[in-house]
Amino acid sequence: MRSRGFGSFISAVVIAGVVLWSFVTTDVEMTRLAAAGPRIAEFLGRMFPPDPSVMDEIVRGSAETLRIAVIGTLGAILLSVPLGLLASGTMAPPAIHRPVRTVLAVIRAIPLILVAMLMVGAVGLGPLPGIIAVAFHATGMLAKFYAEAIDGVSPAPLAALESAGAGPLARLRHAIWPQMAPVVARDTIFRFELNLRESLILGIVGAGGIGFYIQTYVRSFQYDKAASATLAVVVMVVAIEAFNVILRRRFS
Amino acid sequence: MSVAAQIDDVSFAHSSVDAPALAHVSLSLPAGGIVALLGPSGAGKTTLLTLLDGRLRDWRGRVSVLGGSLDPDYPPPRALRPDTGFVFQEFALVERSTVLRNVFNGRLGRMSPLRAFLGSPTERDIQVARSALDDCGISDLADRRVDSLSGGQRQRVAIARCLAQEPRLILADEPVSNLDPTRAAEILTLLTEAARARGATVLFSSHQPELARRFAQRIVGMRDGRIAFDVPVSDLSEDAAADLYRDAAQMSGTGLKVVT
Repeated sequence: MRSRGFGSFISAVVIAGVVLWSFVTTDVEMTRLAAAGPRIAEFLGRMFPPDPSVMDEIVRGSAETLRIAVIGTLGAILLSVPLGLLASGTMAPPAIHRPVRTVLAVIRAIPLILVAMLMVGAVGLGPLPGIIAVAFHATGMLAKFYAEAIDGVSPAPLAALESAGAGPLARLRHAIWPQMAPVVARDTIFRFELNLRESLILGIVGAGGIGFYIQTYVRSFQYDKAASATLAVVVMVVAIEAFNVILRRRFS
Repeated sequence: MSVAAQIDDVSFAHSSVDAPALAHVSLSLPAGGIVALLGPSGAGKTTLLTLLDGRLRDWRGRVSVLGGSLDPDYPPPRALRPDTGFVFQEFALVERSTVLRNVFNGRLGRMSPLRAFLGSPTERDIQVARSALDDCGISDLADRRVDSLSGGQRQRVAIARCLAQEPRLILADEPVSNLDPTRAAEILTLLTEAARARGATVLFSSHQPELARRFAQRIVGMRDGRIAFDVPVSDLSEDAAADLYRDAAQMSGTGLKVVT
């Protein structure tokens, strides 16, 4: 008990130190924030009313973002099935699943926007680098989820099917799959939602989608058009969330 | 065949435990008989049943089941596996699948690998599964998901799955210890009657002497990985049965808990 009390004291000191350090070493000028008040109000004012004349571009951009998320998620699923098998403790020996898990953790640690920038450099502007970036980035999480779904399977029914003389493929199909299917479905839908949210901003680095239009409007001071695009983003996020809730209810 | 299974001088130790799970065990099961395996937790009952089911590795000794000898290094050939059926204490059902699917799972070893993978039963598979469901009194539950069933119903499904294998030897590991006394007697009646009707041999384990007496013809007592006695029911004395539990009761200091 004493050592635990000491531990939490140390944690408190470290956290306080980090917060203090951040304040002292950053140029946070509260006076600038106060002076910027009227300008922020003016910005917001210029966003109203949103300009509906750019509807065509917004619909086109949103559709492209949706396509990037769909194809990117599909790519992530295709990569995650073999990698998930290799990362699972039940299907692969430690010599394989440990390094695979490490690689997945590294992939997860690389931000999507960074991957997208690299891919724009590698394959040029447009939705293709966005798709590759989403597929790559999402695999880090999805393969880990799949591996956990496999490892979460109860071994008792497997032993029962082995006892009955079922081969490995029949066991996979009739004992492992029914147990992991709802988890896989739920995790995949969750990752698709994340992919859609994250790919909304990919256009900013030239990787396709509605983000490209938002960036163009903001840079050319057309805030009313930027507001329309932002509204479209909000609508899409709310829609995918509602869709996700419905699907999750089905797979419980 | 007059002998369903023969065990000669078999020893086995779990790699993580010092005390052997089985120590120089020899046992002969006559074909068509119903034998109870009696003993406290940790006596080696589950290990012995798993051995006969061909799912134990790295044991020493000689074992033959239904005329074929088992190899301690390799699982038995798939063609022989369905002949030995196993009923698990915790049912071991696929919870999210239907009762019928779980019963078909017992047929997988009898189907061609392709049919087994696709899960497409033949007319005969369907017929066998139906009669297994009937015998277990759960035909009306066929389309229910297992996770909506009670414990007694689940064990009926597990027994139906076992019967769907058309086993000649049925190994049941504490099949009723998770059920109340009424349910327990029902399930054992069901199991032994279905086995008799099919001419199958039954070896079931239990820690309740009264159930062993009522349903078995012969009782094998186990303690500390050894066979303590092997007698017809009529020869089993109260003392012999009580002796199995005495040491265990003293060791854990809670005699009542072990016996009930």
